[in-house]
Amino acid sequence: MKALWLQRLTCCGNTHSFLNYEGLEYLFSRFEYFYHPSLSLESEEEVVERFLKEDFDLLLVEGAVRRDDVVLKELSKRARFVVAVGSCAVYGNIPALSDPEVCGLNYRFKERDGLLEDPEVINLPGCPAHPYWIAHTIFLLMQGKKPELDQLGRPKDFYSSLTHWGCTRNEYFEWKVDAEELGSERGCLFYHFGCRGPLSYSSCNRILWNGVSSKTRAGTPCFGCTEYDFPRRGLWETRQYAGIPAELPIGVSKRGYIMLSGIAKMFAPERLKNEG
Amino acid sequence: MKVKSINLERVEGTARLELVWKDGFIEDARVSFPYTRGIERVLKDRPYMDALVITPRVCGICGHAHLIACVRALEKAMGIEPTLKASLVRNITQSFEILQNHIKWFYLFILPEFLQDSNGLRKLYEPFKGRRWFLAIRQAAQAVKAIALFSGQWPHSSYAVPGGITSNPKPSDLAQLEAITHQIRDFFLKQVVGLEEEELRRFLEGGSLSLLKGDLGLFLEFAHKEGLFRAGRAYNRLLSGGELYNPSGFYCKKTYHGRIKPSALQELTPPSYSTVSPLRYRSFPYETGPLSRQLLSGNRFIKNLHREYGDSFMVRVVARVLEIWHILSRIEEGTKRLYECLHEPSTSLKKPPHVKRAYGYAFVEAARGTLMHEVEIEEGLIKRYRIITPSQWNLGPRCERFLGVAERAIVGLESERQAMLVLRSFDLCSVCTTR
Repeated sequence: MKALWLQRLTCCGNTHSFLNYEGLEYLFSRFEYFYHPSLSLESEEEVVERFLKEDFDLLLVEGAVRRDDVVLKELSKRARFVVAVGSCAVYGNIPALSDPEVCGLNYRFKERDGLLEDPEVINLPGCPAHPYWIAHTIFLLMQGKKPELDQLGRPKDFYSSLTHWGCTRNEYFEWKVDAEELGSERGCLFYHFGCRGPLSYSSCNRILWNGVSSKTRAGTPCFGCTEYDFPRRGLWETRQYAGIPAELPIGVSKRGYIMLSGIAKMFAPERLKNEG
Repeated sequence: MKVKSINLERVEGTARLELVWKDGFIEDARVSFPYTRGIERVLKDRPYMDALVITPRVCGICGHAHLIACVRALEKAMGIEPTLKASLVRNITQSFEILQNHIKWFYLFILPEFLQDSNGLRKLYEPFKGRRWFLAIRQAAQAVKAIALFSGQWPHSSYAVPGGITSNPKPSDLAQLEAITHQIRDFFLKQVVGLEEEELRRFLEGGSLSLLKGDLGLFLEFAHKEGLFRAGRAYNRLLSGGELYNPSGFYCKKTYHGRIKPSALQELTPPSYSTVSPLRYRSFPYETGPLSRQLLSGNRFIKNLHREYGDSFMVRVVARVLEIWHILSRIEEGTKRLYECLHEPSTSLKKPPHVKRAYGYAFVEAARGTLMHEVEIEEGLIKRYRIITPSQWNLGPRCERFLGVAERAIVGLESERQAMLVLRSFDLCSVCTTR
C-alpha cells in the first residue's frame, strides 16, 4: 500500500497520538510507501508533485482545510481511499470556529459542506483520534476492505457505541449518584460537570487511551470531542431546566429520565453514596 | 546576491526559511510561518474553565504544558494554590511530556538530518524503518503512558483544574510510574549516552565530551565534522521563567539576573514577512529552552560547556539531551514524595467558583522553553487571553533593532545544511507559533 499523510491547520496531535500505537513497527513494515511531512526525509513539494500524477492507495489528512485547497482536491481523486484523521479534518473543529473559509474534508461542523463533495471520506473524529482507530482502519484498508460507516462517515467499529460504555462510573450513573465536586473518584460527572459520555459516540472507555485510562476514568468529564459540536461553550457545565439536564442521554425521553432517576435515587445503594 | 526560499521538512506544522547569500556566506535569514488558527480569539467570552480544554489544543506535542500554564494562570487569578499532591503529580506529568519531546526531537528531527550520506547508519535511524527510530518512539510512547496514568490520556488531557487535579492516583499507579521511569532511564544510559550510571556521574562532574558514547557521541562526531561546535550562536542572551526545576531569571553579558517580570515583556509589530510578533525582554531578544534552564539551575557541566563554546548549535543540542537525565532524577524524587501524600485531597477547591473580575498569568516550562499564559476574567467569562510560546522567543521574527534569535544564529553560516541544522537546534514548532 502506498500512503500519504498530509497536514493542514493542525496542532499535530493526531500524529503524536498515532505514534503511541504499539504495533507501529509491524504496521509500517506493511506499507510499500509511506510519507509523513514531519517524519519523512523527502520534501513534501516533490512528493505531492509525484502523486498528483500517479494513482495511490491512501490519503490521510490531519487538520482543518481551506476551501481553496486545490492540491487536496486533486490528490483525493488519485487516492483509492481518503481518511480524515481527527476532528479538525472531519468537521473543521477549532480552526473553523473563527474562519468561515476553513472546514473539514466532507463536512463543516454538521453540514455536508466541506472541501470535498466526493469521494466519501472515512472520518476518524476525536481530538485527537485514538491510535487504534487510525491504525486499525489502515489495516482494514490494506486488505482492500472499506469499513462499515455510520451516517457521518465514521467506522461503526469505533463510533457505534457511546463513550459512556465501559466508563468505570457507570454504576453511579445508573443510580443517579452525582459527583458533587471535581477530584472525587466517586459519582457520575453527567449531572453537574457537563460530561458528554452518554451523548457522544466513541470507544474511549472500551479501547483505553495509552493502554491505561480515559478522561472519565481520570475524573475528567468527556467533552464530546468526536462530535461536530466540539468544543461547545461551557464545557464543564450541564445546562439544566428545572433540575433536568437540557440534553438527555441519546434516545432517552424526558419522562423516562425523570421517572427512572427518581426511582434510582430512592433505591441507590449506600455503598455508592458514602465517600471513601 | 542570491535568495533562496525553502519550505522546511520535518517540522511540527509548516514553516519557511528564506536565505540571502553573499560571497559564500548567509548574509540574511528570514524564518516565517504561513498559517494561523486563531485560538486566542476562540477563547474570548467563553466560561474560563473552557480554556482548560481549548488551550492544550494549541500544540499536539506540548499541549500538557499549555494545560499547566492555563491552570496556573487561573489559580493566580483566583488567588488559590493546588494541594501538594496535585502539584507533585502535575510536575511529574509535565516532566514526562518534556522527556517524550526531547527524545522525539533528537531521534526524529536531529539525527535523521545527518543521515543523508551515511548508508550504514541510515538503516538504524531511517524513518519508518530504522531499529533505533522505532526504539526511540517506543520510549516516547512509554513516557506519555506515564502521563496518562494520572491525566487519562495524552495528547490533550484536561485533568488539571483550579486547586488540583481530577484524578486520584493509587499506589499501584506509582508502581507503574516507577517501572516506566526505570525503562526510560535504562534507554538513556544504554542508547543515548552509552555509559554506565557511575561513568555518567563522573562525566557530569567535569568529564570531556569525548567520553560520551551512544547516539549522543555519534551526534558529536557529526557536529564536529560539520563545523558546528562553535557555529550557530545567537545573542548569548538566555531566559527562563522558572517554575519547574530551575529558578526564574536571565543571562546576558556573562551575568545572571534574578526573576523575570512579565511587565518587561514586549510584543512588537511583526515585519512584513511574518504574522508573528517579535518578542523582546527589556528591549532585547532572548533565547529560551533547555540551555537556559540548565544554566540557571547551575548545571556545572553545561556551564563549562557554554563557557567554552558559547550558545552554539552543539551546546544547545547537548544541553537538551542531557536534560533528560536531570529530569529523570527529579521525577524519581517527586515520585518518592508523592507516595507520602497520596491520602491528600486531589483538589483544594471543590467546584470552580464564580469569578467576578480577575487577572492572572503563569510561566511554565515546556520542552522548548518558557511558555506564558495570561488571562483576564470578567463575570466568569474570558475577557482576554494571551499566550506567549517558547517558539515565539526562539523563532520569532526581527524588530527594528534586532534579528530574531534563530535568524541571528543562522547569519554567517556557510551552507544550507548548516542553516537547517541550526534552525532545528531550536526545534521548529510552528503550531505553537501560529496558534
